[in-house]
Amino acid sequence: MIVEIALLCGLVLLSVAAVLFRDLLKAAICLAVASLLLGIIFFRMKAPYIGAFEISVVAGLITVLFITTIALTKTGGDVRESKAASWIFPLVFVVFLVLDFFVMRGLIGKIPSLEATPEHGTFGDVLWKLRTFDLVGQIGVIFAGVLAVLALFRKRDKDE
Amino acid sequence: MNNTWLLYMAFAAVLVFVGLYCLLSMRNLIKLFIGIEVISKGVSLALVATGFAKKNILVAQALAVTFIVIEVSVVATALAIIINTYRHTKSLDIRKLAKLKG
Amino acid sequence: MVFLFIALPLVVAGILPLVGKISKKVLPDLLTNSVFIILLALVFFEGRGLIGQDVAVQQLSWLGEPINIRLMLDGFSLFMLFAVSLVGFAISLFSIDYMDHYGSKANFYALFLVMLAGMNGLLLVTDLFQIYIFLEVAAVASYALVAFGLGQDELEASFKYLMLSAVASAFLLAGIVIIFGVTGGLDFETVSQGLRALDARYLVGLCAAFFILGFGLKAALVPFHAWLPDAHPSAPAPISAALSGLLIKVSGVYALTRVFLNVFGLTPALSTVLMYLGVISMVVAALLALGQTDIKRMLAYSSISQVGYIVLGIGLGTPLGILGGLFHLFNHALAKSLLFLNSGSLQMATGTRNLDEMGGLGKRMPVTAGTTLIGSLAIAGVPPLNGFWSKLIIIVALIQAKHWAFALIAVLASVLTLWYYLLIQRKAFFGKPNEKWSAVREAPFWMTVSTVLLALLCIATGIFFAGTINSWIRPAADALVKGVQTMLGSLGF
Repeated sequence: MIVEIALLCGLVLLSVAAVLFRDLLKAAICLAVASLLLGIIFFRMKAPYIGAFEISVVAGLITVLFITTIALTKTGGDVRESKAASWIFPLVFVVFLVLDFFVMRGLIGKIPSLEATPEHGTFGDVLWKLRTFDLVGQIGVIFAGVLAVLALFRKRDKDE
Repeated sequence: MNNTWLLYMAFAAVLVFVGLYCLLSMRNLIKLFIGIEVISKGVSLALVATGFAKKNILVAQALAVTFIVIEVSVVATALAIIINTYRHTKSLDIRKLAKLKG
Repeated sequence: MVFLFIALPLVVAGILPLVGKISKKVLPDLLTNSVFIILLALVFFEGRGLIGQDVAVQQLSWLGEPINIRLMLDGFSLFMLFAVSLVGFAISLFSIDYMDHYGSKANFYALFLVMLAGMNGLLLVTDLFQIYIFLEVAAVASYALVAFGLGQDELEASFKYLMLSAVASAFLLAGIVIIFGVTGGLDFETVSQGLRALDARYLVGLCAAFFILGFGLKAALVPFHAWLPDAHPSAPAPISAALSGLLIKVSGVYALTRVFLNVFGLTPALSTVLMYLGVISMVVAALLALGQTDIKRMLAYSSISQVGYIVLGIGLGTPLGILGGLFHLFNHALAKSLLFLNSGSLQMATGTRNLDEMGGLGKRMPVTAGTTLIGSLAIAGVPPLNGFWSKLIIIVALIQAKHWAFALIAVLASVLTLWYYLLIQRKAFFGKPNEKWSAVREAPFWMTVSTVLLALLCIATGIFFAGTINSWIRPAADALVKGVQTMLGSLGF
């Protein structure tokens, strides 16, 4: 339990760092390490497949995309973020944490729930046989993403 | 439902809050998108934690895999838009994009 | 067979970029329009037969083995499929000429077909998470389509749309996760039975709030409408028509209705919230539309206002109210697409969207002027066009349910609508022709064919409104009113 809580706190702190850092590159790296921690949290929840997927895709692929974009958009002067945002943040954060803690404490034992149907088979069975339609959706969203990138980076050979 | 689920959901809520704060207060386009990424982390944590609590971990993993695939497409499209915007305005400041007034 | 609605557009979208390398214009045009013709035929011939009984649930099989893809087709889904295929066909006809000067036409068609596949998928699923998936498929395609012209305005509008839409989707998924946690299932039957068995009022209320936020943003209800007045004008005209006429209705209103009426059940509290949201959207958007000089922006605000009507009708919950709301959805899809396509013709002819700069175009572009007039009168609710009947039904339903104030506001908003639409007619088409426009010609062939088709449909739906209601809308309304019970019947195929 202690390890879980430590990992979760690390995840939250790294996300806060990713939001507050001025330098975009440092922010992207914080995000990547946060994904790494989330992957480890997934492992400990007996969810190894999603852990591996999270680390390889979010900490890997998405971070690469971010760093490519940062490299392609190096501005002469940085965008000046408002200083007020960084000062107000700790206050609002602590307020939210307190609220969150009390709400969750109040909900202990009060949530009615039904048993879910027990699952059988391996992860492969569940993904390919139970949730087959999701795969059609995945194909659709991948098409959408690929076509979007193709459309947005096309060569304009005749100007409109 | 048990306390572990509530613990994970509490942390997921904090992550969503941090992401929303980023969206409300940051000006750099790429920073704004990092806010969306943090929100996505919160939501996928909530998803897997719910599956863990319901002893339905395999279904939750299948859902989370699909969610991450969707997230990648959205990231690719958004970064393509950001790069194109940079080519037009040579800046990543959201305030320079204030021509349209909603 | 019903799976073709999703599979056909996806497959054609997959091969279009390759086809586009061989033939830049003819083959992509041909392919896309044939997709729509096939889907329309499918709706007419197969769909009506399939729902002879209440609902058809189809299980697919691959080489003899059943695959776990279950599609559900009831009166409501069939009605929406019909509207989507019809309006989509008109839009793709229009794009044949309009998208010539944007370049990369095959890519445009491919994205449009992916968006269509996403919308059709949303209409046919049986599972909450799958609603989310197909919503995202259509949304990602629409982000790219709004930014298609690659100008600064388009990119800015698309970025804002993307940000807001991503937050809405995250909240939707949060709601779905909580429902999964409470009921242990994701498909409609399990969830609705589970929610009725439990009494988790606060959690269900929280989920309902998340869903209203998420779907309300997709439907552009006030106060979640901020992205629409930027996104719809900046997008290329066929895409503005597709977004206003189809996407906000399928991923916003349809999904909202399906989840609330068939899964949650329409409690009085929920009904009140929806009705208030509808009325506020109706009035605020109509007022904001009055001050606009950009024709597409005015049309965009009008869309928000009309969606308010639809949500008001459906939120009322009585059979007549739902009937009126759905009929108005259909009419608005036809008429608003018509108007946006015409604004595209105007933009292509004059190079501007500013109403104050246009003037007296009626003589040079008679077909455009005529069809715009028909579309405007249809939305404003002038008899005997279709909008009149649908608004009348909604107002009668409100009066029957003793919501006098709402009915009065609906009538007043209708008058406002008529006013700003007549403004468009006057500024763009009547009056003295401006010097600059003496060389302007009528819009090219396919563009006029498409808009004339939509205008004729508006007129026909208005004159034959009884027939339209009985054959398409009544099954849809019945399916909704019966609520959860329809989910439980099934035929296997």
